[in-house]
Amino acid sequence: MSDIPLRLNATEAGILRDLVEQMRALVKETDATDAVRARLFPDAYEDAEDSEAYRDLTGGDLSAAKLEALDRVAESLGNGGPTKAHLAEEDAEAWVRTLTDMRLAIGTRLEVTEATMNLEPDPDDPAFAPLHTLHWLGWLQEQILERMVP
Amino acid sequence: MGPMKQPTVAPDVERESDIHEVVEADRPWLVIVWNDPINLMTYVTYVFQKLFGYPYEKAHKLMLDVHYKGKAVVSSGPREKAEMDCFRLHGYGLWATLSKSE
Repeated sequence: MSDIPLRLNATEAGILRDLVEQMRALVKETDATDAVRARLFPDAYEDAEDSEAYRDLTGGDLSAAKLEALDRVAESLGNGGPTKAHLAEEDAEAWVRTLTDMRLAIGTRLEVTEATMNLEPDPDDPAFAPLHTLHWLGWLQEQILERMVP
Repeated sequence: MGPMKQPTVAPDVERESDIHEVVEADRPWLVIVWNDPINLMTYVTYVFQKLFGYPYEKAHKLMLDVHYKGKAVVSSGPREKAEMDCFRLHGYGLWATLSKSE
């Protein structure tokens, strides 16, 4: 795979830097009752005890992988202003995973459904801004995915 | 290989229960991916190709099953392998669970 050029204006890059920070806090959070936390670290088994044992075994590695991906994304974004980066394969991988986690966090918080997701966001809806961001992150993810080789 | 055991004629209760346990342990674990309204179809297809090395057609078909049927078995095997697959899917943000095959 050849490097993927990534160009973001200052506003877009700023939104993403902010989301990276929020995701870092979310991944480090330990409130098991949080719906977003439950979606990012799902139960592996129907049985609660089995799920707990599985989470004890794998939860730390899963957090570490998410934080590592966030670090890579932060590195491509740079410290301020617009972003002009070239994503190597491992960066692109970190980007699509991180964009997924961001979308899952926003979508779960908004309690979106298939129906909500298929609608054009309504500017009068109080959730317009986060919904708009959710769709934009999906668009960005697909732009990167199109250039990746599985 | 060890020496062949003498065949026993009388039914052996203990051995039958051993066999039962072996059969139980051999039943594979299934890795199931559930539909969610957020992950994009292109992404889910990509993940199945990437993690399991499935050709595009198979990955796409599995993604459609997840989307339209609500879930699909994406891999199976011994418990350790299934747990590893589930872990990798969680790493990609897919909603995966494990269950023993019927």
